[in-house]
Amino acid sequence: MATASVYSGPGFDFTNEVRNNFLTDRGIPLPKATSTGTTIVGCLFKDGIILGADTRATEGPIVADKNCEKIHYITDNIRCCGAGTAADTEFTTALISSNMELHALSTGRKPRVVTAMTMLKQMLFRYQGHIGAALVLGGVDVTGPQLFTIHPHGSTDKLPYVTMGSGSLAAMAVFEAQWKPNMERAEALDLVCAAISAGIFNDLGSGSNVDACVITASHTEMLRNFVKPNERVQKERSYTFRRGTTEWKKEEIRALVVEEDITHITGRGTEEAMDTS
Amino acid sequence: MNSFLTRYSSTTPEADIRKAKELYGEDEDFSEVMWGSTGGFGNLASGVPMFKLPSVQDPSSFLRMHTDDHADPSCRIKIKHGTTTLAFRFQGGVIVAVDSRATAGSYVASGTVKKVIEINPYLLGTMAGGAADCQYWETYLGIQCRLHELRNRERISVAAASKYLSNLVYSYKGMGLSMGTMICGWDKTGPAIFYVDSDGTRLKGDLFSVGSGSTFAYGVLDQGYRWDLTDEEAQELGRRSIYAAGHRDAFSGNTVNLYHVKQDGWKFIGNYDVSELHYNGPGDVPGATGGGYGYDIRVAGRTSTNAPEGEAGEGQA
Amino acid sequence: MPDGSFAHPQQRQFNPYSDNGGTILAIAGADFTVIAGDTRQSEGYSIQTRYAPKVFRLTDRAVLAVNGFAADGNMFVKKVKQRLEWYRHAHAKDMPLRAIARLIQTMLYAQRFFPYYVYNILGGIEEDGTGAVYSFDPVGSYEREACRAAGAAQSLVQPFLDNQIYFKNQKAAPGTTHPAHLPLSDVLSIVIDSFTSATERHIEVGDGLEIYVVVAQGRSPQGLDAFRGAQELSTQPNGDRMFIIRRELKKD
Repeated sequence: MATASVYSGPGFDFTNEVRNNFLTDRGIPLPKATSTGTTIVGCLFKDGIILGADTRATEGPIVADKNCEKIHYITDNIRCCGAGTAADTEFTTALISSNMELHALSTGRKPRVVTAMTMLKQMLFRYQGHIGAALVLGGVDVTGPQLFTIHPHGSTDKLPYVTMGSGSLAAMAVFEAQWKPNMERAEALDLVCAAISAGIFNDLGSGSNVDACVITASHTEMLRNFVKPNERVQKERSYTFRRGTTEWKKEEIRALVVEEDITHITGRGTEEAMDTS
Repeated sequence: MNSFLTRYSSTTPEADIRKAKELYGEDEDFSEVMWGSTGGFGNLASGVPMFKLPSVQDPSSFLRMHTDDHADPSCRIKIKHGTTTLAFRFQGGVIVAVDSRATAGSYVASGTVKKVIEINPYLLGTMAGGAADCQYWETYLGIQCRLHELRNRERISVAAASKYLSNLVYSYKGMGLSMGTMICGWDKTGPAIFYVDSDGTRLKGDLFSVGSGSTFAYGVLDQGYRWDLTDEEAQELGRRSIYAAGHRDAFSGNTVNLYHVKQDGWKFIGNYDVSELHYNGPGDVPGATGGGYGYDIRVAGRTSTNAPEGEAGEGQA
Repeated sequence: MPDGSFAHPQQRQFNPYSDNGGTILAIAGADFTVIAGDTRQSEGYSIQTRYAPKVFRLTDRAVLAVNGFAADGNMFVKKVKQRLEWYRHAHAKDMPLRAIARLIQTMLYAQRFFPYYVYNILGGIEEDGTGAVYSFDPVGSYEREACRAAGAAQSLVQPFLDNQIYFKNQKAAPGTTHPAHLPLSDVLSIVIDSFTSATERHIEVGDGLEIYVVVAQGRSPQGLDAFRGAQELSTQPNGDRMFIIRRELKKD
């Protein structure tokens, strides 16, 4: 007779799948996952790749995080921007980052962007879109600067300038109007900023600050909160409460240390009886 | 005779409007009730009003699709729903008590709703179900009751008023109205309560409670109800019953509104905060037994981890 | 099919409604009322316009804020204004606030079976000179209140108002009681902070803020001078006074 294993196997746990589908049918939907209704971009310039992202995370129409990080570390020379379900982008990039490190160790070579891209697309395809990660992957390796987008179902594109997320159309409009080959670093950085800003101001799912990351053959520079165009204005009033504002019904103070009366017994007879040596 | 005059006279404002209508054709937006002294009062005074319907095959399923939050929690138009009302007849008249919470889905839309509608000095209506339905139709009923008085030189009976409302909502059956109301008052026959709902049910009775918290209210009410209750005891029973519903039902609460109907018409007794009732009671009012309604006062600070003396060892004894 | 017809029966739903976001808010004082709304109009994740007023002057002492489906809201305000105009022609005076409230109820209820997807808040000065706020649900149930928030960020703003205006969950300092009405300057600060905070945490709120202030006849708009750029809208020199304050909100 086969018994259920007490150890869970590798990968996702589908134990509650049937129950959750049943509940969904009965009108009890799953709790909303935090999604980064997002603007993320990447573009090629003379010396390498620049990635950009906004910093707003939403739960439906509510802003869950005003300054989150959407440019994830893969290796020293590769970074990945994530849009979609926050947890999925976070964990897939972290997993691939680990595997890339192991891969680099076992091959003894500097990791390549295509390797990360292939790992990501194979993983996303295996899960048939259930992992809601839409990614912009960029980096510079031995073959030169590389830039990809990876969709949740596993398809990929290789393009000189790319955008993803709910603000992708706003950002792409900027790229289509202004991108040209072999831009200088400053010019390209301005363009990425303009593209992200277009998303921040015109797409409700994107907002707050601009993060950027410049990757060249020799160096990777993470520009966290590169531009902050949306600082909160000062409040009109101070909302500190008087001590004693909250009412209480009763007050009770308990001692956490249990006190015990200890009777010390001394004398020969006791010593003999208690000898345990 | 008078109407004959206005109809064929060419100098009255009505004639001007009639002429304008002949020129521009009839438009439902421009009925004469919007002009003159009834201007701004809409079409309330001129019989049963007309309602706009969406031009679809089944208007009521259209309405249900967009407004019914039981069928679809994500529907856009959240109609406010009222809850827990009660009324009972006793030796001293009628007690009417209600809570004041309105919910739209799981959101507490208001905690200060007036769920007793003062139809006239001798008639009260309660509100459960659709807030707008109850408010509108019971106001409308008030107009019809006044017209009855003017026509018949005597006040309308509670039976007749409730039947008017019952017949009216029955004519809209299946269209999506939602009301569960008690028409309470005092007429020639003495105190009377009629339960009327949007299905068309109309019941005469001594004691009713309506709404999602009604089961909790009935629990207290049935236990304490007697015909020969004094006025003070009756008021306290009404207050205590709504408190019970407000305490245990998530869709009821905030405050209690209490009314007492006697031979000379209804009287507003008071408004009581439910959490204030729980901790401190209704204060110095007739009928109050003193102290909060919560059981804190009865258990005297004892809990299962802090049992009263002598009970701890009972199992062994 | 080649002729454009379908092989299978097709189900179509008639959906004339949409949600255009935004938030409105009104607070009544002892002898004044403040009615405010943001100016963003959105659908889904797109901004349709950064300036679409949601607050409208009806008479010298009544202001209506409308939120929900913009098309229904604009049509509804148009019809209310039309009815008030007719009332002026018939009676040679403005309709009193409580009568406008009842008018709005009957107009909303006339659409009971095909509702306007609109949440209304009416604010202004009552005939006895007190500040008043009336709030409505889409089919016309209404209630007079001291303060009310409606719209997208209702569930963010209303609890804040309950705490700051009604002093809910706040125990007064020993020997004192909470004031029944706040002064105008405090109310305006609370309104501005409500909207800047809602803008921070709700994606459909932002761009601009319009605050209408109605002050009862003979009362001084004290506290208004502290707020730059208040523009007077009063038509009569010694009637009730109406002001508008415009502010920018964040645009992300």
